[in-house]
Amino acid sequence: MVRAALAQRKVNQGPVSGAQYWPAISVMLASLFVVLPIVSMNGWFPNFGFLVLLAWRLLRADAFPTWWAAPLGLFNDLALGSPIGLSVAVWTAAMLVLDIADRRTQWRGYWLEWIIAAVLLLGQEAAEWRVAQIMGASLPFRSVVPPLLISVLSFPVAAWVVARIDWWRLGR
Amino acid sequence: MATARPGWSRKAQYGLFFSFLAAIAGLLIGLVLLAVSFVAPKSYAAVRGAALDATAPVTGGLREVTATVSGLFSGAGDYWDAAHQNAQLKRERELMIQRIVEAKAISQENRELKAALQLRERSRTPVASGRIVGSSFSSPRRFAIFSAGSSDGVRVGMPLRSPSGLIGRVMDAGSLASRVLLVSDRASIVPARILRTGQPVISQGRGDGTVDLRPLEVGRNPFRPGDIVITSGTGGLYPPLIPIARVVRLDDDGAIARPLADPGSTSFAVVEQPYEPAAVAEEASARPEDE
Repeated sequence: MVRAALAQRKVNQGPVSGAQYWPAISVMLASLFVVLPIVSMNGWFPNFGFLVLLAWRLLRADAFPTWWAAPLGLFNDLALGSPIGLSVAVWTAAMLVLDIADRRTQWRGYWLEWIIAAVLLLGQEAAEWRVAQIMGASLPFRSVVPPLLISVLSFPVAAWVVARIDWWRLGR
Repeated sequence: MATARPGWSRKAQYGLFFSFLAAIAGLLIGLVLLAVSFVAPKSYAAVRGAALDATAPVTGGLREVTATVSGLFSGAGDYWDAAHQNAQLKRERELMIQRIVEAKAISQENRELKAALQLRERSRTPVASGRIVGSSFSSPRRFAIFSAGSSDGVRVGMPLRSPSGLIGRVMDAGSLASRVLLVSDRASIVPARILRTGQPVISQGRGDGTVDLRPLEVGRNPFRPGDIVITSGTGGLYPPLIPIARVVRLDDDGAIARPLADPGSTSFAVVEQPYEPAAVAEEASARPEDE
C-alpha cells in the first residue's frame, strides 16, 4: 500500500472558495439552460434544474439544506415561466421524499439511485401535467411518456456532471 | 444513513430538525403560491415580466449567433445548383406576376363592393415587430419568447403573426420581452374556417407542434388533406383571414394540421392590435383561471 502523502501528487490543495454554495449555483445554472435559443415544438427536453438537483441530493445528503429546494424552485419557475409555486412545491416534496428514502433504504447502488430518480421524475412530470390540466390545457396522460423517458435516460449524464463538479469543488 | 442521526451533538440534531421544519414550510409556501397562480394569475404579472426581461436579452443575443451560423450554411447551400434554381425561380416569377394582377383586380372589386355596402374598414396597424427568440422546452405547455415588450406597446392578449401565418397571442408582457401562447398549445383555441369551403371550424393545439381541427357542425368530415385553415375573426381576439394551419391527416370527426408559421424558423413576427379590444378586456375579466 502506498502512503497517501506519497500517492498524492498535488499538495496543499483544498476545497475551492465557496465550495458549499456550488451545488446550489450549479442547479441555478442548469435552470438557466432555458435561455438557450432553442425553439422546441414538442417540449420534450428534460427539466435540467430538477435533474441536477436530484443528482446532487442522491450523490450527497448534505449538498445543501433540504429547505434550499424552495428558493431554488422559485428561481426555476421564474426562469422557465411555469406557474409560480409548481417547482417550489415539487422540488421540496422531492427532497423530503429523499430524506425518507435515506432512512428506509438499507443499501444503495447505481441501479437503485436511478430507479429512485425515475420515480421522482415521474412525479414531477405528473404534477406538471396535472397543473397544465387545471390551467386549461388538458392533454392525455400518455403525452408525459416521451419527456419522462428522455429525462430518465439523461439522469446518468446529470449524475456524471454533478460528480465532476463535486470532484472539482472539493479540490481533489 | 448520514441524515438519520448526525452523531451525539445536540446542536447538529437541532440543526437537522429545523432544516426539516423549514422544508415543510417551503412545501406549504409552494402550494400556496401555486394556488394563487390558479385563482389570481395576474398577481404575478410584474415579477414574471421582470424575470422575462432578465433572461430574454441573453436568449436574443444567442439567437443572433445561431441564426448567423445556420445562415452561413444555408447560404453556402444556395450556391449549389444555382443555374437550375435560377431558371425555376424565373418560371415561378412569371406565374406570380399573373396572380398579382388578378389579385389586384379582385381587391379593387372588393373595395368597391365594401364601399357599396358601407362596411367600416378597420385599420390593421402593427403594434410592434420582433423575433421569436426562445421557447418553453421542458413542459407540456407551448410558449415562446418574443423580443418586444410593453415598452414597445405590447399588451397581454394581443395576437402575434408572421408573414406565413398566425403564431399565437401574448400571455405575459415584460418591458423588453413577452411570452406568447403558441397556436399549438392545448389551451389555445382559435375560431377558424376552411379556406376552400368557408365552413367554420375550431382549432385547438395538441401540445406537440400540431393542432386539432373540429368542425362546428356535426356531420360528414369536411376536411381534405392539404386544406388551409384561416382565422374567422369570431370572438374578436384574432383578426380574420390569417392563415393558421395545413391539414396533414384526417381522423374520425376532424383533422390534425400543422401550423403554417413555424416559430422555430420565423425570422420576424408582428404583434397586432386585438381585432375587438373589448373582447380582450372581457376575456381577461371573465376567465381569471386563464394564465
